Amino acid sequence: MAEREIVFRVTRYRPTAGGRPTFQDYRIPVRDDMVVLDGLNYIKDHVDPSLTFRWSCRMGICGSCGANVDGRPRLTCGTYIRDLGKRIVKVEPLSNFPILKDLVVDFDDFLNKLASVKPHIIRKDWGDWTKEYTQYPEDLEAYRQQSLCINCMLCYAACPVVGASPEFVGPAASALALRYIRDTRDEGAAERLARLNTKTGVWECTFVGECSVVCPKDVDPAGAIQTLKFLATQRHMRRLLMPGAR
Amino acid sequence: MPNEYPARRRSGWWLRNPRYFMFQMREIGGVVSALYGLVLLNLLMQLSAGESAYNSFLTTLRTPPVLYLNLVFFGFVVWHAITWFMLIGKAQPIRLTREPLPWKIVFGINLILWFVVSGAVVYLIFGGM
Repeated sequence: MAEREIVFRVTRYRPTAGGRPTFQDYRIPVRDDMVVLDGLNYIKDHVDPSLTFRWSCRMGICGSCGANVDGRPRLTCGTYIRDLGKRIVKVEPLSNFPILKDLVVDFDDFLNKLASVKPHIIRKDWGDWTKEYTQYPEDLEAYRQQSLCINCMLCYAACPVVGASPEFVGPAASALALRYIRDTRDEGAAERLARLNTKTGVWECTFVGECSVVCPKDVDPAGAIQTLKFLATQRHMRRLLMPGAR
Repeated sequence: MPNEYPARRRSGWWLRNPRYFMFQMREIGGVVSALYGLVLLNLLMQLSAGESAYNSFLTTLRTPPVLYLNLVFFGFVVWHAITWFMLIGKAQPIRLTREPLPWKIVFGINLILWFVVSGAVVYLIFGGM
């Protein structure tokens, strides 16, 4: 397969040196079957072993190789260099996250937000552990779309509201909250809606919609947040009209 | 975490992506809608103040600078309305069948309704002229 040379312009940030992140150019040979992650690995293996970035599965499942490629949040393992159609490919760390080193960002804040919506099945009584909780295909279909989230955080990088209000719970955590609220086995909707019906919850969203555009799994977090606004309002009105209701 | 580089939103972020730009224009359209509301409130205040005050305010509204400003503001309000119509089908998908209606159909229906209602209002105001 024919090779050609292009320039990878990659963000470098050395935590021990401090200062501001800078760009470093690497001229590398590429083929049409190479994705951006292949380019980064070529640099790491043959040009500069100090370049630091996260990756794991190489097949769009683990969600760890997200970066801003030519200004847009993408999974580097799913972005073909040929599709970018440029002689200079700019690779930067995901926006709206602190940078730890080069392309590696600190996502502790995201994990805390995710934990706050309790992304697991909640039941008051698990009953008989040997019993199966039957679900019909339509039950699965109700939350299938949100369950495809791989926590890649591209949606957080794309969301200008997260940039302006870092306390905002954000798109992926909201989508996963809806995933469990819609699960027929779950009984934790009230707890999650109480968390989301706050100033830093779903009401912070102004529906820019870019989170759904960049999502590599078509989870549609923007749509999920609007549904959560409806559910939160419904719960609020129910509690207002029927004191004691959950 | 020591020595991590803090997250910073870049100035001019909304110029880096056409969809961010369209979003910002939509939000400005919301502010302009509120301004139109204030103009209408002031119109009512002038009306209660008497005929001469009302006519004087109308004359001000008809001066070329205000008319040009109105044209720009009207553009923002139209954009605000169109972008919200685009979001209706995405915000609350309408399920008449197993699959929700595509947002583009909901958008089209809203546009048609908008034109029909606007046409009716224009006819009611200017129909007898």
